[in-house]
Amino acid sequence: MSGSPRPAPVEATLTVGPAPSPAPPLVRPPRAHSLAGHVRVAAAFIVLMVLVSGVAYPALVTAIADVIDPGSAGGSLIKYPNGTVEGSEYLAQNMSAGKLGPELFWARPSLTDYNTTLGADSPPGPTDPALQALLNETIAYMKLYGNFTVNATLPFWWVAPSASSVDPDLVPEAVLVQVPRVAMNNNLTIGFVQDFVNARIVQPILPDVGVAYVNVLELDIALLEYTGNPAW
Amino acid sequence: MFDPSSLWDVIVLIGIVAAIAPWFGGYLGRIYMDRPMPGDSILGPIEAGIYRLLGTSPRKSMTAAEYFVALLVVNGMTWGFLYIWFVFQPSLPLDATGAPAMSWTLAFHSASSFTTNTDFTHFTNESQLSLGSLVIAWPLALFVSASTGLAVMAAMIRGFVRRDGTLGNFYVDMVRTISRLLLPLAIVFAVILVLLGVPQTFTNTVTAYPLTGGTQTIYLGPVASFTSISLLGTNGGGFYSANAASPLANPSALSNLFETFVMMLLGFSAPFAFGKIVRRRGEAWPYAGTIYIVFGIALGLFIAYQFATNPALASIPGLGPQLGGYPVGQETRFSLPEGSLFQVVSVYSNVGANNMQIGALQPVSQLVLLFGMFTQSTPGGEGTGFAMLLLFAVLGIFVGGLMVGRTPEYLGKKVKTGQVRWAALALLSHPAAILVPFVVAVVGGFVTVSSGSLPATAHTFTSVLYEFTSESANNGSALTAGGSSTFNDSTPFFNLAGAAVMLFGRFVPIYAMLKVGGMFSQQETLPPGQGTLRTASVTFTVYITLFLVIVTVLLFLPVIAMGPLSQIVGGG
Repeated sequence: MSGSPRPAPVEATLTVGPAPSPAPPLVRPPRAHSLAGHVRVAAAFIVLMVLVSGVAYPALVTAIADVIDPGSAGGSLIKYPNGTVEGSEYLAQNMSAGKLGPELFWARPSLTDYNTTLGADSPPGPTDPALQALLNETIAYMKLYGNFTVNATLPFWWVAPSASSVDPDLVPEAVLVQVPRVAMNNNLTIGFVQDFVNARIVQPILPDVGVAYVNVLELDIALLEYTGNPAW
Repeated sequence: MFDPSSLWDVIVLIGIVAAIAPWFGGYLGRIYMDRPMPGDSILGPIEAGIYRLLGTSPRKSMTAAEYFVALLVVNGMTWGFLYIWFVFQPSLPLDATGAPAMSWTLAFHSASSFTTNTDFTHFTNESQLSLGSLVIAWPLALFVSASTGLAVMAAMIRGFVRRDGTLGNFYVDMVRTISRLLLPLAIVFAVILVLLGVPQTFTNTVTAYPLTGGTQTIYLGPVASFTSISLLGTNGGGFYSANAASPLANPSALSNLFETFVMMLLGFSAPFAFGKIVRRRGEAWPYAGTIYIVFGIALGLFIAYQFATNPALASIPGLGPQLGGYPVGQETRFSLPEGSLFQVVSVYSNVGANNMQIGALQPVSQLVLLFGMFTQSTPGGEGTGFAMLLLFAVLGIFVGGLMVGRTPEYLGKKVKTGQVRWAALALLSHPAAILVPFVVAVVGGFVTVSSGSLPATAHTFTSVLYEFTSESANNGSALTAGGSSTFNDSTPFFNLAGAAVMLFGRFVPIYAMLKVGGMFSQQETLPPGQGTLRTASVTFTVYITLFLVIVTVLLFLPVIAMGPLSQIVGGG
């Protein structure tokens, strides 16, 4: 984008004079449409466009998608061995709930309680006292149910609310901090669970394209499969 | 802590766009020239058939006034179709989730929002929109509003090279924009999105049974085809209410970079389409330069402030150090520079999609985004963004010509008071459309927060200002911060005021753009004299950039002072 100021006047002389007209000279253009004429043309155009944009276009793309990547096209669903849908690879779930909670790794907190019907909620602004209250509350909850010592420090990327309210991923340090609890509740050694997690860190496809992360739902299912937990 | 090498993919992506923009802009320009071009053998006969069906002809060239009438009729009918669909949503096809009918004010806001390329929403897609609304009604506006913007740009540019007082045929411009540009690209991009993990199905909901009990509803649909045209056409509406932050609509770092590319493609190519149509390629560079300078500075500031720590959180016990950027309202899978690139491109191109929560951003980052909506032209929305930049240039050339005592002329056409009057009106209409409703909303007591009383925090003012700015700029991004400063914008007042602002902010500048183009097309082209300002130059690039920035700052200082500035200075 060098706005090259090319001192040679060649370009300038080329463009002077009776400038070239791109359109063929329209000495007497055809008569304009009347207003009723415009309404007729526009109505036909809208009918055509509804068929193109609302029917043909999505149908064509769906047909192609079903052939090239039916898994993605169907929402990347994860199914129990018996075929029931457990969830989607791309949607976080409330892993800290219920009897199974203590045995699982937990995703980031959700302002909508992982309820997709509610859409996404924005966290409070940076200077809003409500933000401090929210983080304090989250940290207290995690410490109480997550088996942390009173003075433990929790990773910021774990306790901060996400943008979508259903962020399925965690940075590795946010998973590793949960290892002692998960190991204890599954009767596994800490070293083993650490290796188990480390083997499931998704590295960037190229350095610094995205970040290293762990998909919490897939990690939890892998863990249940390994321990032979009847929940899976 | 900040590693500059993590910026490399962001720089490479901008480099790729910069490399193909001149070529792609050339293709974009050829769509609007009466000349043979690639694809004629297949599309030519189809288009001829469509013109016969519609009852118009490429030989029917319209004056500015007639072009505007045609534009209004087509957009008006689109609006009507959407309005009726939303009000009767439960009785129309594809309503699997049982979405209720919209109230008339909400339907009014939504139809206006989609028709004006804004796509600001006052509802939650998942519970308040039927699949039919998402598949049949809204996409009509996605295509029509995007091609309307490009048609306006083409018509205005033609004014510089025509001498017969006409600007071309609106219907022909619409048909060619869709057949040669939007539809083929949207199909290809949608297929790529599917390969990157985005759903594409006519199944609406799947009930899932999570490990820990209960149920989770998974909303699906033709997400890829919707997202593709929404981003390509700078609409920015999301299939999900979380928009591009939703992991289903933007599943990975790679999809994020790809979606950023889709948003950049047309806006950054537009100056070269101009160079092609006026047949002086060198004239494209000052505009490309202006866009890259303003956009580049904005991106740098945004990234820097998202890496900064938030002092308000320094005293929270048990909170770990901030690594890899400020995480509140951000998704894990994008690196901070990539996420920021998407967000700045989205707002500066008036797409308005978001892959983060704007309300949770640092105040300076919010100000950076606001500035992009003030200029509306770096690169700005589909077609209208570049046309707005041309209005800035017309005004700048006039002022510059007066300052140095030269005849203000551009591309052999004299810049007269007529054009300057309309250009100034278009630029002034923007702050007016923000400040007037803002004052009415605040003084009239229409801003209500959860506690019910009028809030005093600067952050709430910023939210209200951001809302009207986004609507007037036809952007569509929202700063609805949660917490104590949330104000409720789904009220009859904000529905109707917002709709009025969007319609005003769309069609007043469009009329001015066509009017200016029409005035130029009535003039003979003069040979450059001694007093002609050379415009294909670095000097002109710097001049236009400074002119744009200074005029914008002067116009919007009152706006900034009320919201973000007081928030930065005073906190709260």
